[in-house]
Amino acid sequence: MESAIDRTNMSSGLTADELMALYRVDEDDLQRIREHGRIIEPRLGELIEEFYAWLRRQPEYTRFFSDPDKEAAVRKLQQDFWRLFFEAKVDDDYIRGRRSVGEAHARIGLSLQSYFAAVNHFLMMINDTYYDGSQSGDEHGATVNSVTKMVHLDTSLAVESFSVAMNRQLTEQSRAMMEMSTPVTALWNEILMLPVVGIIDSRRAQDVMTAMLSRIAETRSTVIILDISGVAVVDTAVANHLIKITKATSLMGCECIISGVSPAIAQTMVELGIDVGNVKTTATLQDALTQAFRQTGIVLSGQ
Amino acid sequence: MPDRPRHIPIGQEGDVAVAIMRARQQSQEAGFDVSTSCRIATAVSELARNIIKYAGQGEIILRRVTAPGTSGIEIRAQDQGPGISDLERAMEDRYSTGRSLGLGLPGVRRLMDEFDIKTEAGAGTRVTIRKWL
Repeated sequence: MESAIDRTNMSSGLTADELMALYRVDEDDLQRIREHGRIIEPRLGELIEEFYAWLRRQPEYTRFFSDPDKEAAVRKLQQDFWRLFFEAKVDDDYIRGRRSVGEAHARIGLSLQSYFAAVNHFLMMINDTYYDGSQSGDEHGATVNSVTKMVHLDTSLAVESFSVAMNRQLTEQSRAMMEMSTPVTALWNEILMLPVVGIIDSRRAQDVMTAMLSRIAETRSTVIILDISGVAVVDTAVANHLIKITKATSLMGCECIISGVSPAIAQTMVELGIDVGNVKTTATLQDALTQAFRQTGIVLSGQ
Repeated sequence: MPDRPRHIPIGQEGDVAVAIMRARQQSQEAGFDVSTSCRIATAVSELARNIIKYAGQGEIILRRVTAPGTSGIEIRAQDQGPGISDLERAMEDRYSTGRSLGLGLPGVRRLMDEFDIKTEAGAGTRVTIRKWL
């Protein structure tokens, strides 16, 4: 989990100064934005009206604003933000605020497409529609540049935190899937079986071990078969986990047989130099079951 | 046909799974049999896990390579982590600084045809491995 945090810091942990340098926003830009704010702000109410008129025509609108209170609340946030934007103060608070926007969008499932369209619409309104023409051409050109840089900086923060939040959701989902997939089944009296499919990482190995040990305690089984025929690779870390699992089960008086060792995996393990010691392994689940029957004294007639 | 190298960022355990799956798929596409593809995927798994364990983050780059009369696959694992302070010992069997089996790097060398490692204290590690058809 530590590594996930590192990655978050790496991609979005920039300070206010670093961000300003990255987007080449300097004091002159901020000054121009503030001056521009003095032109736009008296008409901010009007601008927001137009923005919402545009928003209502967008396909995603009804999904997010079915409740009229919702629109009023978001509208208030937007007005506050635009005021803040024209204050042009890039500090840690401002950055935190912009990041929370991205997280909120990820939470409600607003698409990046819609977000960018809204940003674009906003940019057009403040650079063009609501500009009163009071500056010289050069001056206005410089202002448009400054505003655009700032909007890009701003948008990048929201998009960055959006993608971090989406990644987190994905990780949680796949974690949930894995946790659901440790089905320890009673095959016979005193014989349990657990098939493992996919990739084993340390967390998953821990889940597998916990699931096995608790079922062994419940059922007082003496043999458990861990079938790895669906496991993609057995590297040294996975082998280490498997060895630990078999040690733990034998401490509980239950022998673990690892079945489903394919020719490819067997060869790879030998080349890696893995010594499984006295861990019992079999090529197929059938072999493992035959061994388990023998061990528990079950004799099948009619063979 | 020169394929574009595929970069796989490695930063959490889920990324290891992605690297393993891509390595296996690309090995099979390159013409390796199931058994050799399994070796290659396992080598990638070792290297990707090392990145997470020792450097926190880094990347795996997969690409097709050709040589006169043959072709193969190259995997590069690189990070900007702390580097390996005692490379000679890290390449010995059963030596580990991280409570594991200590077979990772020497094992990867046995699984592959070519193995090259560059490491510098404080600057990171780069492992390049190749398997030929």
